[in-house]
Amino acid sequence: MSTRTTRTTRTALIAAMAAMGSLAAAASAADQKDPINPTPTAQDWQALAKLPDWSGVWTPVISDQVAQEKTNAPPWNPRAARQIAHMYAEEDAGRPFPIIDHCFPTGMPSWMLITHNAFEILFTPGRVTILGEGDGNRLRRIYTDGRPHPPDPDPSFHGHSIGHWDADTLVVDTVALLPQAYLAVNEAVGVPNNGDMHIVERLHLLNPDTLADDLEITANKILAKPWRTTRKYYRQRAQKYDIAEGVCAQGSFTEAVDKDGNAIFAPVKFHNGVPVGSESK
Amino acid sequence: MKREWLNQASAIVAAALLGGALPASAHHSFAMYEPTKTLTFKGTVKTFQWTNPHVILWVLVQPDDGGAAQEWSFETTSPGVLTRAGWTRQSIKVGDRVSVTFSPLRDGSHGGGLNSVTLLDTGQKFVPSFGKEQPELK
Repeated sequence: MSTRTTRTTRTALIAAMAAMGSLAAAASAADQKDPINPTPTAQDWQALAKLPDWSGVWTPVISDQVAQEKTNAPPWNPRAARQIAHMYAEEDAGRPFPIIDHCFPTGMPSWMLITHNAFEILFTPGRVTILGEGDGNRLRRIYTDGRPHPPDPDPSFHGHSIGHWDADTLVVDTVALLPQAYLAVNEAVGVPNNGDMHIVERLHLLNPDTLADDLEITANKILAKPWRTTRKYYRQRAQKYDIAEGVCAQGSFTEAVDKDGNAIFAPVKFHNGVPVGSESK
Repeated sequence: MKREWLNQASAIVAAALLGGALPASAHHSFAMYEPTKTLTFKGTVKTFQWTNPHVILWVLVQPDDGGAAQEWSFETTSPGVLTRAGWTRQSIKVGDRVSVTFSPLRDGSHGGGLNSVTLLDTGQKFVPSFGKEQPELK
């Protein structure tokens, strides 16, 4: 009720101001409640040229992921540690837990930690966008226009991210992650963050063609203390590395033709999470 | 049921082969495939499913007891990763006669993690791989 009243009042105010020929004043009044994304200026576009060159496609250094899994494990709290130990045992026994199930996005921070797929980074005025490959919605929007986090952002798989440049380092602060989003150390071992996770990242070039992401992950429901870790990615300029469309659900279907001769997708038979032939149990 | 066996590599060889066929990006780990076991079947390609998150090669395998052909699925990493390793969606075609080396599912279901596939008519061999871990700039 109060929201509707506020909106009605504001609409009336804007209408009145517009009628008075005072559109600028109307926009200013609206700014406080509904900020706008301003039209980028030529200077805004030119400013992007001064940022470090992060063009190309970035592929994760998987051997380093594996090494870090062994040498820098998250400081799990006792309850999480018990689950993690069980999941490692299950993985060893050939019963891997499906961390990335249901074709949900891998989410943050697991995407940056365990992905085997490439991503690219786009700079536009007020925004850094990271576009990944593999699960259909692997996408991070990092607002660099100076805005704060919203007071009550909707939780999401990738959270709400704001960033700023500290010299040639992009500092990213991420909140509002779904409690169901995993903190995973591999594709079969990890636990949901269970809420209140906060991630601070420092993305920077280690050398001309190696990008580093220094992550500090605070997840008080599962970690005994904040966890610091780094992931590395190599730059690729060969066009064979260009990002491929990744619609995860497509993998659950195969090409078929219906009775009218139309090309359709037909479901694939799965058993314990993997596709199996028609004679399987 | 008896099936057409070509060989059964040692655990060491199997582990080496698996090194080129690491778990793919999404969906699941490949730990449900028996890493210490490697089988090789010959068959005819039913479908080469070039999809994310995992590419799947569907093969009809003729049991050597003369029974009806059996459908098997062989899973590997994603189109993006395979493209970088030199594969295309045309690498393997419906009807191709192939020899498939794989790590089988532990429960005996008709599926496996693909280690390599060889086209029997040309001898061309495809191995899943993440490629070299280095920047490729030219």
